[in-house]
Amino acid sequence: MDSTNHFRVVIIGAGPAGIGAAIALSKHGIKSIALIERSDKIGGVPSLYKKKKGGVRTFIRWSRGGIPVFGEEYANSLKRKLVKTDVKVWLQTQVIEIETKERKLSIINPIEGKISLTADAVIMACGSREKTMSERGWLTGARPIRVFFTKQLLQLIDGNDLLPMRNPVIIGSDLIGYAAAAKLKVAGAADAIIMDKCRRPKCSYVERLYFRRWSQPNFRGVDVKAVEVVGSKTASGIRLSKDGDFIPCDGIVVCGELVPNSELALLGQLKVELPSRKPVVGRNYQMSESGWFSAGNMLGGFRGAEWCYYNGRRVARAVVNYLSQPL
Amino acid sequence: MNTPGKLLYYWPHEGLDDSLKFNDISQLGENPYDIAIIGAGIVGCSLAYKLSMYKLKILLLDKNYDVGEATSKGSSAIIHTGFDAPVDSLESTLVTKASREWPELAKKLKIPFEECGALLIAINDEQKKQLKNVYDKAVKNGVTDIQLLGAKQVRELEPQITDDVLGGILIPRESIIDPFSASIAYSEIALSNGVDILFGTEIIEIENANENIKKLITGSGIKINAKIIVNVAGLGSEQLAKLYNGEPFDTNPRRGQFLIFDKNSRLNINHILLPVPTKETKGILVIPTIFGNLMAGPTAEDFLHGDNSITDTTIEKLQSLLDEASKLYPGLKKQPVISTFAGVRCNCSQGSYWIRCHDGHPGIMTVAGIRSTGITSSPILSEYLVEELSNKCGLNLEINTNATDSRPKSSWPGWWKRPFANGELFKKCPDYGMIVCYCEQISRGEIIDHLDSQLKPVTLDAIKRRTRAQMGRCQGFDCQINLAEIISEHSGIPLNKITKRGPGSELIPDTKTMKNKGMDGLNKSF
Repeated sequence: MDSTNHFRVVIIGAGPAGIGAAIALSKHGIKSIALIERSDKIGGVPSLYKKKKGGVRTFIRWSRGGIPVFGEEYANSLKRKLVKTDVKVWLQTQVIEIETKERKLSIINPIEGKISLTADAVIMACGSREKTMSERGWLTGARPIRVFFTKQLLQLIDGNDLLPMRNPVIIGSDLIGYAAAAKLKVAGAADAIIMDKCRRPKCSYVERLYFRRWSQPNFRGVDVKAVEVVGSKTASGIRLSKDGDFIPCDGIVVCGELVPNSELALLGQLKVELPSRKPVVGRNYQMSESGWFSAGNMLGGFRGAEWCYYNGRRVARAVVNYLSQPL
Repeated sequence: MNTPGKLLYYWPHEGLDDSLKFNDISQLGENPYDIAIIGAGIVGCSLAYKLSMYKLKILLLDKNYDVGEATSKGSSAIIHTGFDAPVDSLESTLVTKASREWPELAKKLKIPFEECGALLIAINDEQKKQLKNVYDKAVKNGVTDIQLLGAKQVRELEPQITDDVLGGILIPRESIIDPFSASIAYSEIALSNGVDILFGTEIIEIENANENIKKLITGSGIKINAKIIVNVAGLGSEQLAKLYNGEPFDTNPRRGQFLIFDKNSRLNINHILLPVPTKETKGILVIPTIFGNLMAGPTAEDFLHGDNSITDTTIEKLQSLLDEASKLYPGLKKQPVISTFAGVRCNCSQGSYWIRCHDGHPGIMTVAGIRSTGITSSPILSEYLVEELSNKCGLNLEINTNATDSRPKSSWPGWWKRPFANGELFKKCPDYGMIVCYCEQISRGEIIDHLDSQLKPVTLDAIKRRTRAQMGRCQGFDCQINLAEIISEHSGIPLNKITKRGPGSELIPDTKTMKNKGMDGLNKSF
């Protein structure tokens, strides 16, 4: 069952950063590159924002003079560049074991089962996810259904043409929260209440102004230790305090506040800062073991798709340098 | 071979295959049940399992839409040795005996189980003095395989714990278990031995309670005949007992909140860490889970019966949990919390293990106050209940030689046996190579296996407890919708009708009943 394949570079994650790295490595003349993606399509988070008539364009292409596009369009433009290379792409493929020193990975997918790979260098471009309710530290109470993350909201609205709520409360006031409010409004919901534990929205004024074209959400900064989710079966509101300040809703979206997907780094016992989960990287994006690199939103912070793409290219240059050094 | 029992749901909405819907008593046959068990928590499920070894017509019913959906799902998942139980109580007798039975039972039932041991840790002089008392009490409870340790020995066993440690006790047989699999395993075997299981069914009235054949009337007006009734309804038992004029008792639910830490944390701690108990409380524990996480908890908060917020979490208690648990293992504050939950202990003011035969009327048994030790005691408590039913309620026990007392090997949960590591399994079905839950590495194949299993799960939570999908660090960020899509595709139920825990908890609100905007807005935008 176990056959061993060797690659010059294995990239984990086919979002903008991983694709950026793959394209740049290929342009630098590196042969035998493998790109591993666990979902069924490449493009990462942008690919979830489908192109729809009258829909909200949420991705700004700064390199093209700041034109807003749909995430899907951006993902497709990356795909077009990628298919011109001879990068080996594995979809629906999960990395399940890592031997760091040997730079050996075990992967599985529904077509080949479990396979082992080795590489001269590995780039982790695993992206990030939104913090769970508990990780945010100020959301307590009940655990009903219809408390969604933005990713789930996109899967429902864009992926399945379903509207998961009519009167949304959005937790998290960064760009993702305002984009979600616009998305919901266009899909048929009322203007959202955007709630965060800060006095002013984290989303910039210019960005908020952009989304006003579609929706006028109400921002509610809360100055309490915690709020409680209410609802025995489905989410029915948020209680601000014991005295009964209560905001009714029929669904909650938990938005933004990204944390790096560093579990593969932990699996390989590469150094990761806790509790922030940021992988420890030195100069040239090298992680705590030689030959292991990290790129894109996995590095931590909150970056747009295009930044990740260009960051992937920068990391690729660092990898090319690393590969050209005598061992 | 036995004919398996029937599994039916009362489900008056869309969102369930018609063949699983309970509409009419004829679906269960006309003959009265020898025994009806009301409440499919750990006690009800283990009783159904034990009784299914005999030639009896048995019904197990619950108002929820899966087994163990109330008290049993929210526990510390510890199999106690009973070292600190009240001496000479029924609880202590059952728990200490059961704890010795569990290692073998877990193998038979295919429930993941690990004898990780516990360390009771004294961190001040007062507590150090108490150690001897704890030790003596354990010996009185028959738990003699324990060891008093000095500070150095404790530190050798757990290098990461607090520097304040002054001494401790090692209790080697304190173990951890998959608490969800326990109820599921018992009831799956019961079902395959012929026990009928009815979900979504609340009993609102009992007629002819004084007669040989009693009539249980469900919320939907269906009458079920049974000769013996056992009330193991947990939080619902007080209300139920009123229907048959049982001896009054007070349910006194006690909430326990927990923090769950990400898996990396368990690399540092191997034992259950216990503080020295005080008269009031057992204190806050640090508990390794069989799934590979650490937990801290539980709190002990008394609630009025019927309070809706009983499984809510609160910030004050969660923060104090972290503070208390950090006194034992200071590194905990650096570990990311992935989730929090609150469970309920079903305490009874009249006493723990409050068991009544011929309660109100002949042939009715009430079991209350199985507070926090139900999973541990279940194998022996159920035996005890069977004896009581036979001796006092006249239940006729004739062994059914066809009955099985174990689950097949294929029942080991996927997260425990890792089916994708098995090349053979993959050749049979490529779905074992398709990972749906990235955090816990759960494949589509495992999810479909469960959807096709005999005790068919129909809700997202029921699937979650069987497969662990959605229980990892991202809490469903990546897999919740994919999981709902798989259920929808496999069962033919539209995606919007998939529920979290039964009717009323649908993924998507019913568009017809929404006043706001209606479908027009939706159509325009797509």
